Amino acid sequence: MANGFFTDTSLCIGCKACEVACKQWNQLPDDGYHFTGMSYDNTLHLGASTWRHVSFIERPVALNGQDAGAFSWLMSSDVCKHCARAGCLENCPTGAIIRTEFGSVYVQPDICNGCGYCVAGCPFGVIDRSPDDGRAWKCTLCYDRQKDGMHPACAKACPTESIKFGEVEELKRVAKDRVEKLHQQGVTEAYLYGEDARSQPGTAGLNAFFLLLDRPEVYNLPPDPEVPTLKGSKSWISAGLAAIGVTALAFVSVVLGNRSEKESS
Amino acid sequence: MSEKLPALNAVDDGRNIDPRLGALLGEAAQQTPLATKHDTELHAKTFGNVPSRQSWTSPTYYDHPMLHQPVWVWSIPAYFYVGGVAGVGAMLGAAAQLVAPEAMQSLVIRSRWVAMVGGAMSSALLIYDLGRPERFLHMLRVFRVRSPMNMGSWILTGFSSAAGAAAILPFGPRLFRPLANVCGVVAGVLGLGLSGYTGVLLSQTAVPLWHRSYKITPLLFLASGTAAAASFFEFFPLNEREASAVQRFGLVGKIVELAATLALEANAGRVERVGRPLKQGFSGFLWNGAKVLTIASALLSLLPGKSRPKRVAEGILGSAASACLRFGIYYAGKASARDPRASFEQQRASVAESASVDVA
Ligand code: SF4
Ligand code: SF4
Repeated sequence: MANGFFTDTSLCIGCKACEVACKQWNQLPDDGYHFTGMSYDNTLHLGASTWRHVSFIERPVALNGQDAGAFSWLMSSDVCKHCARAGCLENCPTGAIIRTEFGSVYVQPDICNGCGYCVAGCPFGVIDRSPDDGRAWKCTLCYDRQKDGMHPACAKACPTESIKFGEVEELKRVAKDRVEKLHQQGVTEAYLYGEDARSQPGTAGLNAFFLLLDRPEVYNLPPDPEVPTLKGSKSWISAGLAAIGVTALAFVSVVLGNRSEKESS
Repeated sequence: MSEKLPALNAVDDGRNIDPRLGALLGEAAQQTPLATKHDTELHAKTFGNVPSRQSWTSPTYYDHPMLHQPVWVWSIPAYFYVGGVAGVGAMLGAAAQLVAPEAMQSLVIRSRWVAMVGGAMSSALLIYDLGRPERFLHMLRVFRVRSPMNMGSWILTGFSSAAGAAAILPFGPRLFRPLANVCGVVAGVLGLGLSGYTGVLLSQTAVPLWHRSYKITPLLFLASGTAAAASFFEFFPLNEREASAVQRFGLVGKIVELAATLALEANAGRVERVGRPLKQGFSGFLWNGAKVLTIASALLSLLPGKSRPKRVAEGILGSAASACLRFGIYYAGKASARDPRASFEQQRASVAESASVDVA
């Protein structure tokens, strides 16, 4: 059994209640107060101290089924995807990152030594090293709350149920119904992002998947993410062949060096 | 309410939790608040562009980075270089030990010392980069084939132990000599792992430039290690046979290094945004500088003569080339990770590539 999120961005009103609830429950420090000029987004990016991030997209393009002229305002609450094949987890050399009994990807703060390899391994740019002592942090899918049978704080706080928490298989059913309904209402651009291994083979599907209304790039999501370990064995084979070559070269050089001097002397 | 505010402000740790009312027990309570502030310069820059009014022809999220750039510091590319010298040097030493232990005795001994010192320096450089250096042994908590960094930690541990034993044991009783020789061969084999795995390490990331080069980087790093190791041995006074072996070893290494450099660049350049950092900016300067230095050093090796000054000049050029190469690909990767379009275009391109393969 795996629990996850279905984030339905067509319902998001950009209230940032999820960001606040996450900060409060997890006692995350603030990131400083900045004005970016990027619509209503002053958070910018997921990171060590930001585990939910609402993005705001102002498009000079109409959304189907709306008559607001050539404009639409998209909002989406981004979060760690708790990938079925997680780049951070597979890269972690210390085993600090584990798959929990709830199917989520969790960083154990008492094991992490801050090597930073997970940061480079996440194809979504989620996990980050905190600059204070260099350990890596990200969304825990509220591991502590789930252990007590509670829902994650963000899902609990979301006033529009844009963030739905539950069993992934159940969420998939809900999500598919929702896409169908939106299509019937004329919002034909609605589609699911990362709901299973078929639609996103590179990660074998996301436990926290999304309903989006434009290309993934618009939300700063990769169009075809791939867990970096997928190419690992080919890379190792290449290293092995190159190593054989260097071995041969070393022996040839030594033999020739030894012989040529013998002849000349 | 109003009388509570001063109390909250007094505890300004960015969490607004009054310690008299709430305990710091949350998952992230261990983070030190003031250290986690965002980079303000970035914000000032983006605001100057009025980012909400971007054009909509090929949209990104305000051109804000999609990935976090690798967080490693200078010690990691420095380690790539040092590990390359120590690792491939150990292999050359092992070959000399097996083929001509008498005639090339000084090369064998020197290679073992280079391997031992280089192995120790490698560990120090790696530990220096860790957020929690005191936890470096956690690297050996698990044995995880899928994580190149975990494999690398094991390889480095084995290599350092073997190289250290090979260097030190000959000082012990005669009985230890054969054991030292076995250790020398083991260090040579693991040394190739040490120099090659770093290429796998880079390619197994989401960084578009590194990930795209997954087949070439291990070869490039081993070739560059070969050139660097040979260049390093050029600094030592060696007898004629040794010098000839080192020079031939290095020359082939430099040629393959150059070929792999060009191959990597051509492959990356097929997606313009991915290859761009190899051409522009500081990373492009290092990368192209490495090519020039490699060519210069190879040409110098082709000239006849094995005089000391000539060998030292070859060594300086070759070492500088390999170091520039490691730092160049490191900074180029970082730049490609900061460019969201590099990732987007690379992924769109590979979708198109695999689609055309399906059709064919
Ligand atoms: S989104 Fe990134 S941090 Fe989250 S599980 Fe996937 S790879 Fe790990
Ligand atoms: S920084 Fe911590 S969690 Fe990330 S890969 Fe290294 S040890 Fe694992």
